[in-house]
Amino acid sequence: MRKLLRMFAPPPAGLHKTVSHIAQEINACIGCNECLLACPALSEPITIDVLNHATVHGPITESVAHFARSCYQCGACVPPCPVGLHRDAMMLWLKIRLLQE
Amino acid sequence: MNGRLDRAEIVIVGNGIAGITAALEARRLAPEKRIVVISSQLHPPIHTPALKQFACARLEREQLLVHPAGIERQQRIHVITSRVEEIQAQSQYLLLSGNRPFHYGKLLLATGSVPQGLPETLPGQHFDGVLTLHRLRDYLDLRRRLPTVQEAVVIGGGAHAVETVMTLLYWGIRTHWLLRGEYPLSRQLDAQGGALVRETLHRAGAIIHQGIEVVDIVGRIGVVVGVITNQRKMIPCQLVLVCTGSRPAIELSERCSMPLCRQHGILVDDLLRTNVPNIFAAGDVAAIRDPQTNRYAPRAQWYAAGEQGRIAGAMLADRPDLTRPLLGVSWHATHLGELSLLIAGNPHLQYPGIETLTDASQGGYRRLALFEDRLIGYLSLGHIQPDSLAIKRLIEEGHSVRPILKALLKGDVDAHHYFARLQAPPVQALPLINSQPERQRLPITGKLALTPEQLPLLAGSSPTGPSPKVPAGSSAYSHHTLWSYLEQKERP
Repeated sequence: MRKLLRMFAPPPAGLHKTVSHIAQEINACIGCNECLLACPALSEPITIDVLNHATVHGPITESVAHFARSCYQCGACVPPCPVGLHRDAMMLWLKIRLLQE
Repeated sequence: MNGRLDRAEIVIVGNGIAGITAALEARRLAPEKRIVVISSQLHPPIHTPALKQFACARLEREQLLVHPAGIERQQRIHVITSRVEEIQAQSQYLLLSGNRPFHYGKLLLATGSVPQGLPETLPGQHFDGVLTLHRLRDYLDLRRRLPTVQEAVVIGGGAHAVETVMTLLYWGIRTHWLLRGEYPLSRQLDAQGGALVRETLHRAGAIIHQGIEVVDIVGRIGVVVGVITNQRKMIPCQLVLVCTGSRPAIELSERCSMPLCRQHGILVDDLLRTNVPNIFAAGDVAAIRDPQTNRYAPRAQWYAAGEQGRIAGAMLADRPDLTRPLLGVSWHATHLGELSLLIAGNPHLQYPGIETLTDASQGGYRRLALFEDRLIGYLSLGHIQPDSLAIKRLIEEGHSVRPILKALLKGDVDAHHYFARLQAPPVQALPLINSQPERQRLPITGKLALTPEQLPLLAGSSPTGPSPKVPAGSSAYSHHTLWSYLEQKERP
């Protein structure tokens, strides 16, 4: 019976990426800026180095915080990435950092 | 001379991604040590893979920086702009330009790579308008010239050449692409994949000349006006861009008082130690071991250089316990025009027991190399870039890929869902960012096809002796020894 229930159970809830994978994605970012160019929520200029620095452990500037709150996870940033990274998942972690603070 | 200024516990030669990452990691782990970066580069570290976007004017110089401006000063990393002339390894000091000695406790060579360029005997290569694209300076030069160029020639067949051709087409320049072979990226792709790239660039507007070599570059009053090929054909142009690849910058290692072992690059073990005590190498200059094939070669990719920088930083800070066991499998992802290229592991590995599957549907091309039910190499060319780091993780963690084989072949694998099914930790159990201990690795629940007992460590394969012990059952362990296991299976 338990086996049968497990078959119909939804997959375990998980964030798009774990923190170690987010850090890995940040390290793999080549800084081409394509994700920011594609973003409809970006209203003021932010450089990728500052955003990457803030995503995992760096200080979150006011402009980055505003951007993180504006991000509505549309995923427009993902297809343009030449190396197949997930800026939407990184932004999600940034939102979590903001909540923690 | 101030005695404090001419010595440092940690000295890093080179200010690229490997060098600066090592410096920042060393600072994090050793807050009290004096760290000095010596480089002849006249700008802070930049995202070199983004130079093609810079050439398309989609980025400005300030946006190329890897780290926020002034991070070196903030982190108390002293940068010296100078050229290192030689290494006196016995006495542990460097000779900088002007015969200035500089003592080191530990030294990291992160001198990167230099472009191959054209053969020295090729006439006309010094005409104005013949550019080798490698550094920021080259791209600044290119951007200044682009408005006056109507026709250009690109020499080279690698990914760099493809990106350069696309940049020129973006600016509406009539572009001739000269390929020595029948198809591009012959080192990374097979004939089918190469043909797909060639056709894509042809459709984009490139004029492709196959099986052609340049025998002369002609100019008029010092400026290039065309190239002559080995088929006695003249191609007129105002710009010749040389993208013939790069090689490790090993010149400094040749001027070391104790010989540094070299083979395509400076040979290092898994902890990036060279054969000379207290000297490490990282980035494009280091020849590291491929954990799948056990062969040493430089891994000239952005991500690999950063990872090596982190390992080197821990080693320089005397914290080998914080290094990752291995660098993992090779991984390269980029855009080639409208195509996305991903190469992870060794998709072209041929050996008894290795199964190769290919698929050419949906206008793309995928090639999988499988050992038993595990993925050991993946090549994808298509209009959508798969979750590339998840594919890398699939290879490194040795999960069975039978349940997702069809999706992998079609290039539409949902790695997130698959890892969730493998009982990846749910969100509640994930460590919070600020409370994450150093180098914590999430538990790996995937099945390893080979047990640690089947997989003896390769002793004596590194230039400085046996590799350090890797925890049995760790994800890297299986691939660390795959090659030796395959060889053992072959023995009677």
